[in-house]
Amino acid sequence: MFRTDEIIKASKLPPEGVAMSRHIDHIYFIPILFITIVGTFHMHTALLCGDWDFWLDWKDRQWWPIVTPITTITFCAALQYYNWVNYRQPFGATITILALGFGKWIAVYTSWWWWSNYPPNFVMPATLLPSALVLDITLLLTRNWTLTAVIGAWMYAILFYPSNWPIFGYSHTPIVVDGSLLSWADYMGFMYVRTGTPEYIRMIEVGSLRTFGGHSTMISAFFSAFASSLVYVLWWQFGKFFCTSYFYFTDDRQRTVKVYDVFAYATLAHGDKAKAGGKA
Amino acid sequence: MNAKQAFKRWVMGFCGVATLALTPVVDVTPAFAHGERSQEPFLRMRTVNWYDTEWVGKSTKVNDVTELRGRFHLSEDWPRAVVKPHRTFLNVGSPSSVFVRLSSKMNGVPMFNSGPLDIGGDYEYVVKLKARLPGHHHIHPMLAIKEAGPVAGPGGWMDITGRYEDFTNPIKTLTGETFDSETMGGMTGVMWHLFWVVVACFWVGWFMIRPMYLVRARVLAAYGDEILLDPIDRKVGAAMLVFVLVVVVVGYLAAESKHPISVPLQAGETKVKPLPVKPNPLTIEVVHAEYDVPGRALRMNLHVINNGTQPISIGEFTTAGIRFTNKVGAAKVDPNYPPELVASAGLTMDKEGAILPGQTVDIKLESKDVLWEVQRLVDILHDPDQRFAGLFMSYTEGGERLINPVWAPVLPVFTRLGA
Repeated sequence: MFRTDEIIKASKLPPEGVAMSRHIDHIYFIPILFITIVGTFHMHTALLCGDWDFWLDWKDRQWWPIVTPITTITFCAALQYYNWVNYRQPFGATITILALGFGKWIAVYTSWWWWSNYPPNFVMPATLLPSALVLDITLLLTRNWTLTAVIGAWMYAILFYPSNWPIFGYSHTPIVVDGSLLSWADYMGFMYVRTGTPEYIRMIEVGSLRTFGGHSTMISAFFSAFASSLVYVLWWQFGKFFCTSYFYFTDDRQRTVKVYDVFAYATLAHGDKAKAGGKA
Repeated sequence: MNAKQAFKRWVMGFCGVATLALTPVVDVTPAFAHGERSQEPFLRMRTVNWYDTEWVGKSTKVNDVTELRGRFHLSEDWPRAVVKPHRTFLNVGSPSSVFVRLSSKMNGVPMFNSGPLDIGGDYEYVVKLKARLPGHHHIHPMLAIKEAGPVAGPGGWMDITGRYEDFTNPIKTLTGETFDSETMGGMTGVMWHLFWVVVACFWVGWFMIRPMYLVRARVLAAYGDEILLDPIDRKVGAAMLVFVLVVVVVGYLAAESKHPISVPLQAGETKVKPLPVKPNPLTIEVVHAEYDVPGRALRMNLHVINNGTQPISIGEFTTAGIRFTNKVGAAKVDPNYPPELVASAGLTMDKEGAILPGQTVDIKLESKDVLWEVQRLVDILHDPDQRFAGLFMSYTEGGERLINPVWAPVLPVFTRLGA
């Protein structure tokens, strides 16, 4: 079904080398790559869109669909670069969001429930997996990062609100308390006391998207999509900057050249007369 | 490394290990406060002057409803260093959500959202609380002021008995459904998350079952990506794309049909008028004030005029939730008020008698107690604004209470007179 044999053959690795490469895959992929993304990306989102993702009463129709995709497509783009350009693996965004979700659910049950006693439904994180899958699939199908930035990143942001509505739609059910109309999410935020998070801290429904007949979600989603495209390009370049390996090679005539083929390092560095030094 | 250095390091290491080993066996007690004493004195004394705070029901069973209520006055001497209360929110200072707050009213107005308050105004609040987590909890009223932070009121202990497992909080929505705040939406959310995790794991797993990194990197470097781009991956990718889009659309439409009526989050503003000002025949002006550092006493020279028809006795000076009373004031203190916040004999005057109708009198008053130290109000000396403010509670012969806000600069006295 797969071209695995053909690929292994082309790699010119001996059988023990192939077996070793699989060990490296497993050791590198789960304990190193995944856990690193959990730590770094979880902190990144907590700092940039944390409150929108933590609290039920922050998930509004303007800021939430704008802030969350824009701030989360960042690592997706960088990890896509790394996985695609170096290995042609189209799961950079998905693995990034899976790692984020892993970290978030640890936080939900340890920080929010076990430590702070907030019920999980009040601190339910949003899902970005459908968006990430579409982003990865776009890269696979187009094989072009520019098209992925235009189509995939747009889809990433546009899909965010509808894919989360099945999880959070109920929280916009109206409720009347003491003669005041609230959404269920508002009342949850009111009921579950947060000493350090007064109501006015919420950045919700603030802005000038008031001239579209109330359809601010659509406008927010499109703006988010546009911004996500730009952020995608920027972070793809970050990925390139941080994931490009090279070394400098000085030959026996003292000429120094920059070599990007890292597989040539061993050959060149340990040659009889050549001397290699430096790397990114 | 010589023997002496080695020995030194061994001793240091031994001490470190011994410290770690001893940690679990020493008596470690939990913290029961919220750092209210760490707020600067000028902030606590000159912003929100809390009074009449009541923690109704010192012990409440899980699921029972109790109240936190009281009043506060927003000091006219609001510090320049603190943002004015243009946007405030009445909050509760508690160790997490041990109570569920069912409603909160200020001067009778529901306060679900934040809003502006008037400096110089008095406000009465009632917060309805439903007991949720059993324990011995320290609860404060709290006024959060945007860009200034929370100002904690006096803290009192409230006990919750029973079992958390018995806690339920069913509430009827406008659409006729009943939601329980502890569980509503939780299982649905978890199921959707799990569903997408399974789909995502399939996608990643599809590529994990084959050599992932080193082999592919070598092939890519040597031959380019023609071999690596397996046609079956594109087919699976296209199928996954359709699948994801269909599930998102169907899920969205299903949620829409399940919850057809929805409202946006409410981001309004609560506008509350201050309590009407009652006529007060007593005027109190602080002519001079000083803080005696070694004596732990705030001394004031007051110029007092009684324009009323009844004799009036000063009974209490309160600031930052601390109450200094004399005999008159002590008799009026709610016995449930936390005793650690009351200096029941902490108020003395050189003229203790009542101020007669029409009388103008200059009084030397002293509010003295270790509470100044314990509550860290002594730190006023380190404040950027050496002033204080508070409320005087006075009582007419007929029992009516009169409240006089006062404020003035305060000078430190570092040595006892004559010492």
